[in-house]
Amino acid sequence: MASEQTNFSEDPGRREAFSALKSSLAGRPAGPQSRIVDSTPTSIEALDRALGGGLPGSGLIALEGRSGRWSILAKTLANVTRRALAAIIDDGSLYPPGLARAGVRLDRVMIVQAATPKGIARAADILIRSRACRLVLMGAPELRAAAWMRLAAVAHRAGVLLVAISERAGAALAAAASMRLRCELERVVLHGSRGPWCTVEGYDVRASIGKDKRAASGAWARVRAIDTAMGTELRERLLAGDRPIHRERVSRAAVR
Amino acid sequence: MLLCVEATPVEVATWEDALDALDAVSPLIDDVRPGLAFLEMRGMPGRPPQWIEHARKILGAACLRVRFGVGVNRIAARGAAFTKDGTIFPAGRERALLAPLPLSVLEIDEDVIERLRLLGIERLGDLARLPHGPFVRRFGARAARWHALARGQDTRPFVPRAHVAVIEAALLGEGRAEDEAQVFFALRMLLARIASDLERSGRRAGALELAIELEDAQTHRFDIVLAAPTAQERAMFDVVRAKLEGVTFPAAIVGLRVRAAGLEEGGETLALLAGDDFDPQAVAVTIARLESVLGTPVQRARTKEAHALEDRFSYERFELPKRTVLRDGAQTQAEAVVPQLRLLTVAEISVRLRAGEPAVVGDPPRAVLECAGPWRIDTGWPDHDVVRDEYDVLLEDGELYRIYRQGTHWYVRGAYD
Repeated sequence: MASEQTNFSEDPGRREAFSALKSSLAGRPAGPQSRIVDSTPTSIEALDRALGGGLPGSGLIALEGRSGRWSILAKTLANVTRRALAAIIDDGSLYPPGLARAGVRLDRVMIVQAATPKGIARAADILIRSRACRLVLMGAPELRAAAWMRLAAVAHRAGVLLVAISERAGAALAAAASMRLRCELERVVLHGSRGPWCTVEGYDVRASIGKDKRAASGAWARVRAIDTAMGTELRERLLAGDRPIHRERVSRAAVR
Repeated sequence: MLLCVEATPVEVATWEDALDALDAVSPLIDDVRPGLAFLEMRGMPGRPPQWIEHARKILGAACLRVRFGVGVNRIAARGAAFTKDGTIFPAGRERALLAPLPLSVLEIDEDVIERLRLLGIERLGDLARLPHGPFVRRFGARAARWHALARGQDTRPFVPRAHVAVIEAALLGEGRAEDEAQVFFALRMLLARIASDLERSGRRAGALELAIELEDAQTHRFDIVLAAPTAQERAMFDVVRAKLEGVTFPAAIVGLRVRAAGLEEGGETLALLAGDDFDPQAVAVTIARLESVLGTPVQRARTKEAHALEDRFSYERFELPKRTVLRDGAQTQAEAVVPQLRLLTVAEISVRLRAGEPAVVGDPPRAVLECAGPWRIDTGWPDHDVVRDEYDVLLEDGELYRIYRQGTHWYVRGAYD
């Protein structure tokens, strides 16, 4: 190496050629940079801001709570299925028309039916290892800590985001997950007075980050899930001039 | 010149075999229906009597009752075969030679033949003599074709049949395999042969039919769908291996047979400008593996119009979505965040009413903070007649449920999530 440097410095012609090449390269625009997928945006502005760009691009996260989880996931699924495939390991509670209303391309969602913890874990493992899907959603069965750790590691290596949905993550899942996101119903938006003239239009969900390996936890975002087509238009036609009442009810649980 | 081959009666399989044998007479065969075919003889060596003799000799072994006829077009050749086995209608004399034949040669409906017979038209010659305009006006546009055929003019195109290609490879009588590695090695070899045959014939297989014969005389069959029609050994092998994962056989394997199915012409499509971010091969392997391990098909959902929540969607087998082309602005679509319902296992619940509305729900009882509904769901005839009233209730613990009353009973249907 030293001899090369010596030779180069001693040859003025080569030095000039090298300088010319260097200056010509300096004027050229930079080449395309490789894009590393390090986050999966939820496409919910407030939440993405709180999450620092979105959910992690890969690994295992735990989505906790009793309400609002699927509203956030549906939006994320809609974003993912524009380009890629996603998979849902379903326990029979899936309601696809709701996902379709959120813009999810149902033809790009693989639905795998699995009920036992072992079946769910095996399905998740196969889906992650194959790298066929960008996002895999599953329930949170009772698995050993080693199994969760393994799923998290495999998902991270494969560049797949695995979301475990539970009411409250167990200790094993909580330890293995790189992020814990907790959803709580804050406020219900009702439209109309009462009875058949009243519909639930949506709700506000408070999504709090309980754990985030990439950043400090504690950030939160309020997400409003609204579907004005859930009967509003029909009812307004029926009322024919009767001024509809728009009101919001604060959930007692959220206040508590 | 066309050679008409007419056989009665004949089974489809026998007829297919007969047509395969007639390939030796002419490579161009128009298979009209089982029992009737025309062979294009233009450019073939020999004269019409020799063609007939050749065909008769070939079909002799098939034990079919066959009649042959030669003519310049389909109606002439058919008329010749109808007149007498081995008849040849010389070019230019079709009209005269067809004239004495009955109307059934045209293969038209019996009621039309009866109507024509009532008008005194019993033979093709009678039909050919009718003035074209008035005849067509009376019997409609299709009568123009009958009239032309009766005059020996046949413009129906000759449609050569496609040859059924069977691409398969088998390994039988080569010993027994008990080890997984041996089976995969043999399968790989068979798939290499299949891939080679596919490549030579310029085709791709969209599926594979795998038959595994066991020592106890059982045969296990697997229909394997490939991600996309392919002629690549590796792509086929990956899916086959995934499909066999987790499968156990009660006895040693003594035979393997692989057949390429869903054959398509042409090369593989490239996705240079595809805007999708998934690998079809990886998806196919994943589906095969999941189905093999879990024993249930991988599905996709489809929505449909219906009254009841549970009828608004159905599941079907997952198929790879069509590739989309990368476009600018593909990510600008913005849908709102929509409340999602989660279907719960339908279970009866206790509900206490106040002023006709649910006031306390469930066990332990929880007060209803807000109630929306009822909305009447009536599936009505001809479906199973279900009448129920649905409500959305916000409970004191902050959960939002969809419940319904059917008759005097209350049930929980779902929860908003």
